[in-house]
Amino acid sequence: MTGPAVEDLQDLYENAPCGYLSLGPDGRIVKSNRTLSSWLGIAPGDLIGKRLRDLLSIAGQIFYETHFAPLLRMQGFFDEVALDLVKADGQPLHVLANAAERRDAEGGLMFTRVTVFRATQRRRYERELVDATETAQAQSRLSQGQLLAEHEAAELREQFIAVLGHDLRNPLAAIDGGTNLLMREPQSEKSQRVIGLIRGSVLRMSGLIDNVMDFARGRLGGGLQLDRSSKLLAMTLEQVVGELQTSYPERQIELNLDVADEVVADHARLAQMFSNLLANAITHGATDQPVEVDALLDGGELRLSVANAGPPIPQEAMQQLFQPFYRFNPHSRVRGLGLGLYIASQIAKAHGGRLDVASDATETRFTFRMPLAEQPA
Amino acid sequence: MSVIFRNHVVTAGAGVKPMLFGHGFGCDQNMWRLVAPAFEADYLTVLFDHVGAGKSDLTAYDAGKYSSLEGYADDLVEIGRALGVSGGVFVGHSVSAMIGVLASLKAPEMFESLVLVGPSPRYVDAEGYHGGFTAAQIEELLASLADNHMGWSAAMAPAIMGNADRPELGEELTNSFCRTDPAIARQFARTTFTSDNRADLAKVTARTLILQCSDDIIAPEAVGAYVRDSIPGSEMKILEATGHCPNLSAPAEVIAAIRDFL
Repeated sequence: MTGPAVEDLQDLYENAPCGYLSLGPDGRIVKSNRTLSSWLGIAPGDLIGKRLRDLLSIAGQIFYETHFAPLLRMQGFFDEVALDLVKADGQPLHVLANAAERRDAEGGLMFTRVTVFRATQRRRYERELVDATETAQAQSRLSQGQLLAEHEAAELREQFIAVLGHDLRNPLAAIDGGTNLLMREPQSEKSQRVIGLIRGSVLRMSGLIDNVMDFARGRLGGGLQLDRSSKLLAMTLEQVVGELQTSYPERQIELNLDVADEVVADHARLAQMFSNLLANAITHGATDQPVEVDALLDGGELRLSVANAGPPIPQEAMQQLFQPFYRFNPHSRVRGLGLGLYIASQIAKAHGGRLDVASDATETRFTFRMPLAEQPA
Repeated sequence: MSVIFRNHVVTAGAGVKPMLFGHGFGCDQNMWRLVAPAFEADYLTVLFDHVGAGKSDLTAYDAGKYSSLEGYADDLVEIGRALGVSGGVFVGHSVSAMIGVLASLKAPEMFESLVLVGPSPRYVDAEGYHGGFTAAQIEELLASLADNHMGWSAAMAPAIMGNADRPELGEELTNSFCRTDPAIARQFARTTFTSDNRADLAKVTARTLILQCSDDIIAPEAVGAYVRDSIPGSEMKILEATGHCPNLSAPAEVIAAIRDFL
């Protein structure tokens, strides 16, 4: 009669899937199993009498003597200690070791038993973790450095823009003041025309400086900031028309304003956007046709459109119109930076609205739509 | 900041004469828990942790100050002054033996007697001197500590479990003994194993006992003999205990040797 197979304990010890090592009270090896011998490449007989530290590298010995040996003495055991044993061929055997003391009834040390598990893969994994941590730390330091550099570059750009604005605007203001002064005095017809041209150029240049500064600011720091107030829109629009009319007295501008109420908006920004659209219409539109401006408060929405006659904008150019630095006719006699429509669209966006364009053989029309906030009674 | 807090100074004992115990590289004042209580009847025992070890204030760790043993010796002098120690006994294990030597030179009145357990004034061999290690071996140790793979995985945090065989060891101790911040341990190792205090030995005026273990790889017998020959009037006792930590492996022998000397 055969019962269940009985475990062969002797064989379990010798050929266990882990290494066994027993040390006598003097710390010398008194017994080890075949598994450990084969891992180390050292015959069992040659292990007898050695100390555990004889199986370690010098560095490992120092560490063992200063850390694990006292730990073992203090606690009577240690668990999961990473050791690098040295094989017969000099190669390291990466292991995890557990150890426990066996003491007699009087507390005298009889044996210290050590169980050894191979941990090559685990050691490699830990090595990779350490490397990954170090790499991440190095990258973090690097990106912090980059961030700092970018921050400095941004500051430099801000300063550049401030200086640019200041240095370009000051002489422009002087020219503007000078022409104002001249206009109050009697001038020949020719002089008056020249002064008108100068004022037109001042206005355009002032607009260009505004555009450059807005573009830079908008790009650098979270978009355009609005300074909203409640005002009559008609006044804002009429002022812009007045300015451009002075510069282009020969052009006809048709105003259809149905905006009796006050509108909450950044009126300076709306004026800037409208001025861009109107100046575009005047300079790009057919010179013998009027420019048409329509403004309407209707159904909780403000609609403002500027239309001019002339050749239509090609379909492929329509996609690009609102991109910065885009000029659909680079050979145009009217030079600009290609920022006007980009900034106009940004102003529309900042107001929660949008700017659209429609262009055919009859007319080219830019339309700004903006939802009206709660208007004051 | 109080040095008592900084170095986690713990005093005990019924005696008047102070007896200070310094721990070595790798562990903390618990190293002495099998030895120090034996002297509580006759002495005021003082245990402490070096800054960076045990329950010391880790925020007080200053890599510059502790890059030489002088920094640790200054701390020991401060502890002695804070407690008003004069004519006391200092027992130093391993690197603390040399820290005690340096402190006794800085404050000669503080210690009447020095007990140096496994001392080494220099671990690296030099011309005409056997320290036990080649410079390359010490570099390998420091590199493998920097490499951070030796023992720092689960090894430094032994399993959180009760120890039925040794109920006197609370769980708190089981979990904390021998645990150190790896960065500090690396620096302490460098400070310890690259030190050279051979020139200081001849200046020692305190009565000195050297306790030398048999078969100690960290501080071989030749090094103990060198210390004995260099410190005027010192005596050396060879212990039967093996290894580097007789205060744990053979406390009774250590206690008896210290008693005989005192």
